[in-house]
Amino acid sequence: MAKMINNLLIKVYQHILIHIEDKAKFKKDYAEVVIARRKSRTEKRVNNLKDSLNREILAKALKYGIKNDLTETFISEKIKKIEERFYWKKRALKASFSRKKEKAPDKMILEKAFNEKSLVLDNELNQEINDLRAKYANTIDNQEQYSLEVKTLEIRTTEKIKEIERKSVDNLEDYQDKVDNKLKRLEKQACFFRDKLFSLADNANIKDYGLDEGVILKLDNLTMRFGGLVAVDHLSFDVKEGEIFGLIGPNGAGKTTVFNCITKFYKPSEGKMYFRKNKIDTVFLNEYKVHQIIKQGIVRTFQNVELIWELSVIDNLLVAAHTLFKTGFFGQLLHTRKLHQEELVLRKKAENVLLKMGLFAYKDSYPLGLPYGILKKIELARTLMVEPKMIILDEPAAGLNDAETLELAKIIKMIRDEEKVTIFLVEHDMGLVMDICDTVCAISFGKKLAIGTPKEIQENKLVRDAYLGEE
Amino acid sequence: MPGIDVAVRQILIIILGLIAIYAALDLFWFRKKTQKSLYRSKALNVLILLSILTMIIVSARLFTLPIIIQILLLNTVDLSILILATTAVVLIFKTSVTTNFAQGMMATFGAFFAASVVMKLIAGGSTNMTLILFSGLFAGIAISFLLGLFIDVMIIRKGKNVNSVGKQMITMGLVMVIMGIIPVIFGSNPIVLPAFSVDVKIFNIGDNPMVIPVQNLYAIVITVIVLSALFIALRFTKWGLGVRATASSETVASMMGVNTHVITAMSWAIAGGLGAIAAFFYASMGTQVQVASMVPVQVNAFMAAVLGSFGSFGGSIIGAILINVFTSIAPYYNGTWQLVIVYGIILLIVLAKPLGLFGKKIAKKV
Amino acid sequence: MMKLKNILANFKKQFLSISKHPYFGFIVLGLVFLFALLLRNMGLLTISVINTFTLVMIYSVVAMGFSLLLGFGGLASLGTAGLVGLGSFIMGYMHGKAGISFTATIAIAIGVALVVGLLVGFISLRIEGMYLAIITLGLGEMLRQFFISYDTFTGGFTGTSLRSFQIFGKLFESGNDNYFNTVYIIIIICFILAMVATINIIKSPTGRALLSMKNSESAAQSMGISIIKYRLLAFVLSSVFAVLGGALYILHTKFSYPPQWNLSYSLDILAAVIVGGAQSIYGIIIGVFLIFGLKVSVLNYIPFFSNNPALIVIFNGVLIVLVVMFYPGGLIRLLQTSWYKLKIKLAKLKMKWRTYRYGKDDQ
Repeated sequence: MAKMINNLLIKVYQHILIHIEDKAKFKKDYAEVVIARRKSRTEKRVNNLKDSLNREILAKALKYGIKNDLTETFISEKIKKIEERFYWKKRALKASFSRKKEKAPDKMILEKAFNEKSLVLDNELNQEINDLRAKYANTIDNQEQYSLEVKTLEIRTTEKIKEIERKSVDNLEDYQDKVDNKLKRLEKQACFFRDKLFSLADNANIKDYGLDEGVILKLDNLTMRFGGLVAVDHLSFDVKEGEIFGLIGPNGAGKTTVFNCITKFYKPSEGKMYFRKNKIDTVFLNEYKVHQIIKQGIVRTFQNVELIWELSVIDNLLVAAHTLFKTGFFGQLLHTRKLHQEELVLRKKAENVLLKMGLFAYKDSYPLGLPYGILKKIELARTLMVEPKMIILDEPAAGLNDAETLELAKIIKMIRDEEKVTIFLVEHDMGLVMDICDTVCAISFGKKLAIGTPKEIQENKLVRDAYLGEE
Repeated sequence: MPGIDVAVRQILIIILGLIAIYAALDLFWFRKKTQKSLYRSKALNVLILLSILTMIIVSARLFTLPIIIQILLLNTVDLSILILATTAVVLIFKTSVTTNFAQGMMATFGAFFAASVVMKLIAGGSTNMTLILFSGLFAGIAISFLLGLFIDVMIIRKGKNVNSVGKQMITMGLVMVIMGIIPVIFGSNPIVLPAFSVDVKIFNIGDNPMVIPVQNLYAIVITVIVLSALFIALRFTKWGLGVRATASSETVASMMGVNTHVITAMSWAIAGGLGAIAAFFYASMGTQVQVASMVPVQVNAFMAAVLGSFGSFGGSIIGAILINVFTSIAPYYNGTWQLVIVYGIILLIVLAKPLGLFGKKIAKKV
Repeated sequence: MMKLKNILANFKKQFLSISKHPYFGFIVLGLVFLFALLLRNMGLLTISVINTFTLVMIYSVVAMGFSLLLGFGGLASLGTAGLVGLGSFIMGYMHGKAGISFTATIAIAIGVALVVGLLVGFISLRIEGMYLAIITLGLGEMLRQFFISYDTFTGGFTGTSLRSFQIFGKLFESGNDNYFNTVYIIIIICFILAMVATINIIKSPTGRALLSMKNSESAAQSMGISIIKYRLLAFVLSSVFAVLGGALYILHTKFSYPPQWNLSYSLDILAAVIVGGAQSIYGIIIGVFLIFGLKVSVLNYIPFFSNNPALIVIFNGVLIVLVVMFYPGGLIRLLQTSWYKLKIKLAKLKMKWRTYRYGKDDQ
């Protein structure tokens, strides 16, 4: 009885701990986004002030007839505008004359008229430029007055900028402090519960299900029957954490059935599946439903690309993060602040994932019509959104050519190394399998033939007979 | 009506007993079998059949068996109409993968045309009613045949990548179009067709005299002839093979050399013809037929197809029989709530067998 | 001078950014309808135009719920008429006859909608696709029969009428000018709220989850979306919208007649959503106007149509057939592509004029 209460408490504490850690992570991510936004906003304001300062200095320089770089550029720009105007007038003139030329064959008179009009235009142009220069000619040369006023302006602006920057720094520091305080409090709470868990863990029998050290997935006599057909026949193996595990076999061997069972798309006829969710928690997969698997840390891709065609690529990724949205239905109905915050954070995360996979250019386009290789990459990117513990890939190289397969191999290795996920792979392409897999398991007619390193499998007689053929 | 409560109670008890037997079988026997779903499906069918038999038998004790048989005999015209309509719906579904909501309207169009032909012939002075009526019937069939052809070739085929949902929407639009065109062409008066015969035949089952109007015999005979011809064609001719191929997969069938365009066009045309026969008999049942009168018939035709399974002709015919039996007997239980009773029973059956009594589930590979 | 320019420029920037917000369009639309009311009170607008607007608003609310079911959930239901009728009779009977307060009636209506929605949702878990559509058709017919037979609640064949309603303590009786104005304003508010709710749902994780469920159930499940939960949600939402639409209906027309809530009405709502565009709110409003509003307002005035009422039916049917055949995205998609093509044409014209005025670029 005491044991039951103990276990119950452990479960409760684990839940609370996860909740706190999620909250802390969310606050941290959101704070990052907010700080980035505020910084860019202050930058914009500072730049605006600097621009208006330059404008005012220019006005003063013009007023006092000072010749310096600013005024020279200003005047030359005005001259350029005038010249541009006359350029268009000249072109219009040319065009009208070329039209007239086609109609009336009298070339000489037309050419004379054209030259006259061009000359008139040129004179007008020069006149305007001279007028402009005269306007800004050096009338009052009051260098001292000018320098005085400019200095006052500069001082004022620098003070304003300093004020803004100081305020912003204070603001950001306050915000950071607040966030840090909140995080500290959450960390304290988390520590409190962690300690409690530790103390209880000693007295409890942690349901370990007897998983060996370092094993993340254990299949125990998994059997799947469809009517009279035995698709998977008492299959058992272990998948170690952090490795790339490959499942190979001829068509109809039951590979897809195996992980449809793992992901609970099918209910296994017999057998048990255990998954080490994290250091202290191992779950019995049989008792979960399809849509609960992702929360245990397992995600999968599909052999036929199953993307949501009516949503843009980034929305597809946001759907993958569906379980990370904590706002309830009414919060979503009213579009509360919390929903906005979550969308912001998760959208940033989705953009980062797309960047990492090299898909940022496709962010807002729809999957319909994109090349097949890109669609597969999007499916892969989708799995990274929830930071899973294990990714199951269903024939990822199907339909890809050699170059694309090599790139896929690189990506899979990168994901495993950087995200620290275990990868479970079902594949026909032997090159890919032998290249990247740490362990390979070969099955045929639902039964395990052999399991070992790629080299061992290649040399195994049973596997050769059933599948690979003589080398 | 006295004794209804008792009857309902008896029915419920027996049905609960049947469900208990099914549940016991499922728990202790089916679980062990490998082909669970097949056993379950067949057992459910038996269960449903026994429940219905129970209802009929218990009703028989209320209104005595001869009365029930008499009621059913009187309703054989409705049965023929429903069977024809359902077969037409399933035919179009199998070849075009759409539910044809315009089925009733195509049929009504044929009936109105038949009525105008009959009126003209009568006004023209002929006196041989049977000949006139048969000419009207063939005229109606022909026009609905052409209408079905027109709809498939001109409208459905010409749409831009129309998938099955789109085709259904088009048929819903066509309902309105035809509903509006009929008054324009044929005037806004409702039609009445004279029956083939107003005689009745009397025969005896045991000591009980049974009355069956000769009109009903006409309906039954014509339906049987037409449907047999259809089924023989489906089973033994090249066209029938083409229909079955297209029904299973249109793209693959066309790659195998089946002219799917001709097949679908013919199916629509035949469906129109079947509907016209149904509407013809509906109009000769005595009450006036407005443009929208066939709608309840069409709804029942869909229900019959749902009950029996959209993919099977035999199933939908059985569904039509069941619905006819229900709708004939239900008014005697409770006149105001008969529709609720009938649809309620259908709902329960479909809940027990979501794909229809004879439907098969095609699993998709994930 | 510079300062004025700056102020104007800032104002323009702010206005542009606000006008991009989806709620902006909705409020503008509501204000337009409100303005119509003012015009009517001044006698500048006929009553039939105002009635058309009101009907369009009421039916748009129903259609928006329906589009959440069809356009986002991919589920078909032909029983909408029954639910709208139910809403109208609940309002008519409970508030009109039984004297239950306005807010309580609304609460009861929402509760009933919840229950019915859950029921149909559970049925939908067992029955799929087209079978579901036909079963909901049957359910709608059952409801209609229920309305016709259950006299005390609905008034049977004579229908039920609403003579007055009381809200926030004020009594409004039909026949007073106050009544129409108040009802109209209530309807505008509900209309805007419905649009806001719909767009919020569409652009939220719930909307995305519904679309995933529609596109690929397996992918949705593998991403943590429970099909059961979202099917039920879709049905409950559409039922609530439909029932509220019915309550608004009887507030406006003051009369509800059981046989009018038939299959034809459900098909009309379906047609409105498909013709207008199943995933766009403005599309829905356009569709509702074309199917329901056109015959009441415009066509009755064109002699060609008012002499042969059958032609209006043909017109509606032809519209549906043409839109589905050639514009599968609905009229809103057609309008958007036309607008886009127009802009391209204008740009080309501008290029042509430039070449004429300034000659070819032969630098």
